[in-house]
Amino acid sequence: LANFFELKSSDFLFKFLVIGNAGTGKSCLLHQFIEKKFKDDSNHTIGVEFGSKIINVGGKYVKLQIWDTAGQERFRSVTRSYYRGAAGALLVYDITSRETYNALTNWLTDARMLASQNIVIILCGNKKDLDADREVTFLEASRFAQENELMFLETSALTGENVEEAFVQCARKILNKIESGELDPERMGSGIQYGDAALRQLRSPRRAQAQSAQECGC
Amino acid sequence: RLEEVPLEVLRQRESKWLDMLNNWDKWMAKKHKKIRLRCQKGIPPSLRGRAWQYLSGSKVKLEQNMGKFDELDLLPGEPKWLDVIERDLHRQFPFHEMFVSRGGHGQQDLFRVLKAYTLYRPEEGYCQAQAPIAAVLLMHMPAEQAFWCLVQICEKYLPGYYSEKLEAIQLDGQILFSLLHKVSPVAYKHLSKQKIDPILYMTEWFMCAFSRTLPWSSVLRVWDMFVCEGVKIIFRVGLVLLKHTLGSSDKLKSCQGQYETMERLRALSPKIMQETFLVQEV
Repeated sequence: LANFFELKSSDFLFKFLVIGNAGTGKSCLLHQFIEKKFKDDSNHTIGVEFGSKIINVGGKYVKLQIWDTAGQERFRSVTRSYYRGAAGALLVYDITSRETYNALTNWLTDARMLASQNIVIILCGNKKDLDADREVTFLEASRFAQENELMFLETSALTGENVEEAFVQCARKILNKIESGELDPERMGSGIQYGDAALRQLRSPRRAQAQSAQECGC
Repeated sequence: RLEEVPLEVLRQRESKWLDMLNNWDKWMAKKHKKIRLRCQKGIPPSLRGRAWQYLSGSKVKLEQNMGKFDELDLLPGEPKWLDVIERDLHRQFPFHEMFVSRGGHGQQDLFRVLKAYTLYRPEEGYCQAQAPIAAVLLMHMPAEQAFWCLVQICEKYLPGYYSEKLEAIQLDGQILFSLLHKVSPVAYKHLSKQKIDPILYMTEWFMCAFSRTLPWSSVLRVWDMFVCEGVKIIFRVGLVLLKHTLGSSDKLKSCQGQYETMERLRALSPKIMQETFLVQEV
């Protein structure tokens, strides 16, 4: 029976990355998103970890395949090979550490260069719950986000605040781009694939037509 | 889940090992094969820490550098390294009683050993993959001994694995992959087809010498052989895991995409990681 639910069909499949300096809480964000729990006893990531989850974005089912990477500078040469074909990314810093914030530009350059020029990135100021130790203001980070065309949220992997939102907002933006034609899922390396539900529709043209007729009812 | 060695066998092994350790130079010079065989059978837990120090040469290294560790231990260390090390202290084997409490003895010693290394090799500094290695050592020996054992592993066993560009690990990834071609053409073909670069799956395996991958009893057995025979053991373990995970068309059915294959390699079957099976295959 468990398998049955896992096979829940999806319309799209997006590859996501979680990047940012060591100790900013990348793996904890991923764990909170998938398990809805804070992982207090997690190992630090060496190489890569994974997670996947199906979310509902405006009536469409999107399967996210999330690649969570090691943060330490010297792993960069290794983690870069995970970037290829990512459609979205969470770029994470720690609001209590200026150093992790200062490193953002480097991460951004890497992501745009190696994943895709069109990668949709949401900036996450994590550890929002540690407001007393804050070193980076909300205003400052939101300016940075604006200048670099990023979405922005402050998150807490501990309390769960804004964690789901970060993933969903990023996915929503990608969907919007697909609908507006700015992103083409059929292009190689877009990081987007049709999910099994969409593929079924493509295979039975009559149903697909019916569906598009409905959608055109606007 | 430890496999029980009968008590009398264990006592026998202990006295054999004691004899070896007490006449180490003679054994190393004349009966190295026998030492290797005994490492393959597993070093008795009570002597494991001592044996690792003899086998790795860290004992000699310590004797040649008396007082060095204490000297490094007193120095403050570079803030940029201390910051990363401190972020990692509570993230090593958090279920092990030694490392369970924040600021407890285990975490303090871990800090001392890793900090001392950044002072010993300032050009290398700290690599996050060194922390699990140091933690495993600290479970078996005091901080000073663990430090010199770490030095031997970083410089003699896995040279270049932890330094700036991680070039050595990428090179060994390529070597592993070409060995796989011989060991399991099916797995090799599958990974090639899906364009899965070796560093996507072997980084943690190799850099942590499987300490975060295998069940604990297997980690110890693999380390017994690794400390005796070196990096080739790490290669062999990697090949066994790949072969038994992706080595037949039947196994590949559920690995249709790159992500599915990667997930499979992250969640290996307990059966193939079980100590007797693994050691035998290696």
